[in-house]
Amino acid sequence: MGIREKPTRMDQVQSWRADFPVEYLYTTGVAGERFAKTLRERGMLAATRCQRCGVTYLPPRIYCQRCFADLSESWVEVPLQGVIHTYTVVPVRATGEPSQSLEVIAYIRIDGTEGGILGRVAVSPEAVYIGMAVEGVLAPPAERRGAVTDIRYFKPILS
Amino acid sequence: MRRIRRKVAVVGAGLTLFMRRALETGKELSYYAASQALESAGLRLRDIEAVVVSSGPDAFDGVHMKGEWLSDGAGGYCKPIMRSYVGGGSGVFSIIHGWYMVASGMFDTVLVVAEEKMSSCQPHPQGAFLTIFDHTLERPLGPNLLWIFALEQSRYMHTYGISNEEIALVSVKNKRNALNHPCAQVAAELTVQDVLSSEVVAWPVHRLMVSPVSDGAAAIVLASEHVAKRITDKPVWVEGVGWCLDTSYWGNRDLAYPRYVEYAARMAYEMAGIREPRKEIHVVEPYDPFAYKELHHLEGLLLAERGKAAEDLVNGRFDRDGELPSCPSGGLMGVGNPIAAAGLMKVCEIFWQLRGEAGKRQVPGNPKKGLAQAWGDLMQIGTVVVLGR
Repeated sequence: MGIREKPTRMDQVQSWRADFPVEYLYTTGVAGERFAKTLRERGMLAATRCQRCGVTYLPPRIYCQRCFADLSESWVEVPLQGVIHTYTVVPVRATGEPSQSLEVIAYIRIDGTEGGILGRVAVSPEAVYIGMAVEGVLAPPAERRGAVTDIRYFKPILS
Repeated sequence: MRRIRRKVAVVGAGLTLFMRRALETGKELSYYAASQALESAGLRLRDIEAVVVSSGPDAFDGVHMKGEWLSDGAGGYCKPIMRSYVGGGSGVFSIIHGWYMVASGMFDTVLVVAEEKMSSCQPHPQGAFLTIFDHTLERPLGPNLLWIFALEQSRYMHTYGISNEEIALVSVKNKRNALNHPCAQVAAELTVQDVLSSEVVAWPVHRLMVSPVSDGAAAIVLASEHVAKRITDKPVWVEGVGWCLDTSYWGNRDLAYPRYVEYAARMAYEMAGIREPRKEIHVVEPYDPFAYKELHHLEGLLLAERGKAAEDLVNGRFDRDGELPSCPSGGLMGVGNPIAAAGLMKVCEIFWQLRGEAGKRQVPGNPKKGLAQAWGDLMQIGTVVVLGR
C-alpha cells in the first residue's frame, strides 16, 4: 500500500502509539493578575486605556498595541455589562459524548471598552439575538478564585 | 515599500493525494511532493541551492521541531533550510519566504515544500487546536476551534444579511470542482439541501461547511529570472506578495470583515502594479477551510464588494466558467485541508491554471494573472501571492 491508495481505516496501516507528554503552568501576567484581583475583590472588569489613541483595551494589556505606550499604570474598571456581538449554539459535550443539550456561547462587547469577553449566556437558543443587552453573574465573593470562571455566566438585562 | 528588482519565477509544482490517513510519514509525503516538483521543473536535487519547509503546529504530527525533522524528506539534507510557519497561513507564507531567498540575490533556485500529517493526532487533531486560545481568559471556558468560526460566521451573516443557503453554496461549488482534481479527498456532487441537512456542529456551521482532517504535501520550485528562462519557456512570475497580522485578541476585531487580509492584498497589489483587482485578477484561490471563509476572503481581497460576495456566488460569478473563477481546484472544502500543504496546493493550482495545465479544471479565457491566499493563526493573518505570466 502506498500513496496511490487511500486507507479508509486507522488500523489498515501499521502504527506506533505514543504520547506527547507536556504540562504547563502559565503565569497570568502583569495585566492578568490585576484583572483577576479586580474581578475577585470588586466584581468589576479591569481594562487599560491609552489616552493618546483613545482606546480602552479589554482584555487588558500593559502596552498600547497601536502606539506602544506603557499602559501598566493606566487602568479603568467597568461593570460586567455589554451586548452580544455574535453568538453560536453548541452541544454541551463535557465528556466528548454527543448531547441533546444545547448552550449559547457569545462574544460580548463590554460597554465602555473597545473589547469584550467570551462567555456562556443563560438564554434559550430561540430567544438569543445579536445586540441583546446582557450582564455577568458572578460567583459569591467567598467562592471567587480570581479566574475568568468567577463569571458564572451572562444573562439578559431585563428592561 | 521599495520595488524589488530581481524577478522570481515558479518553475515546477508537485502535490500528493490528500487523504484522511496516509500510510506515508510526513517525510515520505514531503519527498513525493518535492520530487514531483523537481521533475516538473526538469531539475535534480543537486540543482537546488536552498529549501523552505512549511508545516503547521508540531502537535499535529506529534513531532517537536517538525521542520527540522521533515528536512531530509523535503530535500534539505546539508542545505540552507528554513521553516516557514504562521498556522493556517503557512502554505502561502512559504512561497513568500522562498521568494525572499531568491529576490534577495542570495540564491538562484529554492525548493519550497509544505506538509501536514494531521492523522497522527489522536483521537482527533481538534485537540491540538485547544491550546491556541488565551490561557487565562478563554481556555478556562473550554472553547474549541468550531466556536470561533461559528461566532465569526454568525457575525458575518448578521452584518450583511447573508443566509445559510448562500454559505452552503460554497460547499456545493467547491466539492463539485474537486471532482476534477486527482488528489481530492472530499469531492462530491451535493445540493444546498444536502449541506443544510448535515449535522449542526456549532450553529450556524454544519458538518459539510467544514473542511476535513487531512494528510498531504505540496511543493514548488522557485528560480531567478536567468535560471527560469533557461529551463522553461513557461515561467510563472511572482508579481506581488503581501502579509499582515492582526491582534491575537480575536474578539477585539471586526469579525464581519478581515481587514488584515485587505492589508495583505493591498501590499501584494501595489507590488504587482495592480490598480483594479476585480479586472486584473483572472483566477483566484482564496482560503476556504470553512465555507463562509471563501466569501469573507474574497471581500477582504477586494475581489467582491463588502457583503456582496454571497450574491456574486449565487449569480455564478465564481464558477469555473464565471467572470472570476474562485477555488477552481475545489479548495480545502473539496481537495482537503492538510493545513500548510493546503495553502501551497492553492499556489500550485494558480501555477497550473496560468500555464494552461489544469486539465479538466482549466478555467477558460487564458488567464494571465492569478492570486492565492491563505489565512490562519488565531484568525489573524492574511498571506497573499499574485502570480502572472
